[in-house]
Amino acid sequence: MATVQVGEAEKVYIMHGVRDDLRVDGRGCEDYRHMEIETDVVSNTDGSAKVSLGQTDILVGIKAEIGKPKPMVPDEGYLEFFVDCSANATPEFEGRGGEELGVELSNNLYKVFNNKHSLDLRSLCICPGEHCWVLYVDVLLLQCDGNLFDAMSIAIKAALFNTRIPKVHISEDEEGGKEIELSDDPYDCMRLNVENVPCIVTLCKIGHRHVVDATLLEKACSVASLLISVTHKGTVTCVRKLGGGSLDPDSIFEMTETGKRVGKMVHAPLMELLQKEESLGRERTKVGFLA
Amino acid sequence: MPVDNKRVRGPEISQSPLLFLPPDSQISKVSSSSGRQGARGNGDIRPLFARCGLVSQAKGSAYLEAGNTKIICSVYGPRETERKDETDMKSGRLVCDFRLAPFSCPKRGAWIQNAEERDLSTALAESLQPGACLHRYPRAQVDVNVVVLENDGSALAHAVTCASMALADAGIEMYDTVLGCALRQDEERCLVDPDLAEERAESSAENQGRVVVALLPNLNQISGLQADGEMREDSLTAAVRTCVEGCHRLYPVVQQAILRAVKKKAAPPPEK
Amino acid sequence: MSPMKLCVPGERLCSVEDCIPGTGTYPRHGSIFASLAGYVLRRNEGEELPIISVVRETEAQLLPDVGAIVTCKVTSINPRFAKVHILYVGSTPLKDRFRGTIRKEDVRATEKDKVETYKSFRPGDIVLAKVISLGDVQSNYLLTTAENELGVVVAHSEAGVQMVPISWCEMQCPRTHNKEFRKVARVQPEYLQA
Repeated sequence: MATVQVGEAEKVYIMHGVRDDLRVDGRGCEDYRHMEIETDVVSNTDGSAKVSLGQTDILVGIKAEIGKPKPMVPDEGYLEFFVDCSANATPEFEGRGGEELGVELSNNLYKVFNNKHSLDLRSLCICPGEHCWVLYVDVLLLQCDGNLFDAMSIAIKAALFNTRIPKVHISEDEEGGKEIELSDDPYDCMRLNVENVPCIVTLCKIGHRHVVDATLLEKACSVASLLISVTHKGTVTCVRKLGGGSLDPDSIFEMTETGKRVGKMVHAPLMELLQKEESLGRERTKVGFLA
Repeated sequence: MPVDNKRVRGPEISQSPLLFLPPDSQISKVSSSSGRQGARGNGDIRPLFARCGLVSQAKGSAYLEAGNTKIICSVYGPRETERKDETDMKSGRLVCDFRLAPFSCPKRGAWIQNAEERDLSTALAESLQPGACLHRYPRAQVDVNVVVLENDGSALAHAVTCASMALADAGIEMYDTVLGCALRQDEERCLVDPDLAEERAESSAENQGRVVVALLPNLNQISGLQADGEMREDSLTAAVRTCVEGCHRLYPVVQQAILRAVKKKAAPPPEK
Repeated sequence: MSPMKLCVPGERLCSVEDCIPGTGTYPRHGSIFASLAGYVLRRNEGEELPIISVVRETEAQLLPDVGAIVTCKVTSINPRFAKVHILYVGSTPLKDRFRGTIRKEDVRATEKDKVETYKSFRPGDIVLAKVISLGDVQSNYLLTTAENELGVVVAHSEAGVQMVPISWCEMQCPRTHNKEFRKVARVQPEYLQA
């Protein structure tokens, strides 16, 4: 993982700041950094989004392909996550260096979406037991400056919102054989309901308090963090303690409470923003990667 | 582990017929209010059988049985670390390897570690690390190998307990023993130490999920927490509390197993 | 006599005011806790407070630490350094293999620039050395033999016979009377066993 070295004196400085609810960059303990979101940035994908949170930059591309449903759930499609830690972000990721982190991130994404209500997987079914849509969610880390999880989950939500899956019709011929027909109209497509897609909030325990959206510096001062994914209703879909330290039960309860509160608040402005961006339609000036 | 090329492989895609059982037979196990198997109450853990020191070649080892879940763990080291690129050379590394034996689950697994097992290995390492005094072992690594022989639910939770027993048996210095407890929430029903059917059962309830907690009982610190599903915050908090209680219930058994191994290994030193 | 008290890691043993924490224990929040599973031992060593420690059947696993005297076996040599396997730390055998390096300039204290590793060690020699550093990312344990008491203690000649030291830099084969160069250790008499 991309890490920075922090001296003891700086650690103490950061910890004292956190104690007084004033962080190095002027934020309070529960404030996010400035965030920028843009959807539909890669034309070859079915849905894409780029999120930058402080210096953390994440690009998500979603491709829909037709596959076979899993035998346990014949009437549902499924999601596949893959996180690529590009060597662009840090030279440590070169070769197979980023693999470990990538697997960890994608495993957590599976956990976050491992429930019935995050995304309506039934809508991805084309023909029960035979064909379904498989959404390949590819996450690319372009820059790492801490808090990958939160940025990643927001980018995924935005990309899912942006995803347009072509409508298909199943026609049966006389012999009972089924054929999949793709609609001729490129605008005839299906949208996903992303209302329930959770967002991840990572809380880092620093001293006796915890902070949201930690930078790499702050992360280096914390021994343990808690990842919480929250839906807009405040339902918690995934919790996980990360890092080598331990937490006492009371601070875990405090952190889940904060996580839920902060996570719930993220959703409304995010949806509003996405809808606003879409309503601009073609008039929208694209920012792209040189923001 | 190398791939065994001589083994005659089955057809490329094959599934156990058990997977195609009508799903309703499984659901009933969780959502029905009828009792659990073995006349167990919802808050009861399964009777635990634990022993230390059965792998003679290893520095320390442990075997644990909870219901039908059977886990074996061996600890090697501290030995020279393999990876030199770690930035922090002052403290040792805890290398955890979690494996589900191919025959341990209803569906046959591969010998090669899959993504799920790698994820469980990380979770195991993160849960054990706060308990181990790694600064005592600079430049060294301690290997913890866990094999689940039979998975009947709560594998990660019991693996944590089993691994910490093996670490204690190996004489690795620890701040505290680490205990694990799992829980399955289904609406208002809280099943502690679920078996595989209870753990895997599909539930469409609004408030359902799985929680695994690893606890340092004497320091009262939670060293590992994992939850998925969809849970309200209050039921999550309650679930963590219940798991902590469950961990405390394991403690006497674990304590006894470790002490038994200590006594077996050596007579008390002469008192001066 | 009552049976000795046993403990598992994490058990609170006593307050720091009652005892001094010894091996297998650690202090925290004013109490002493056990860090090993074993027998609880209280020992008075003349000081005001007894030392409390936890002991097991085997000695606690030792790791080579800076300043420790280690016994090692030379595995390979090249003009710049000799590679060794550390076998013992003090008098405790290590269960696992730890590798170390004796660099040319750490072989002896004087005339460091004239040291030739080939004239100091040969593969297979048993060497007493001291750990000077745990090494960094690339290197292993760094060892030194730059003391009179450190150096080769057991070496075999080309004829395969154990050689006898004749000076601080030479050893002789009792069968062929050939002399070979080594950085010989002057083993302290108290370490020699009859």
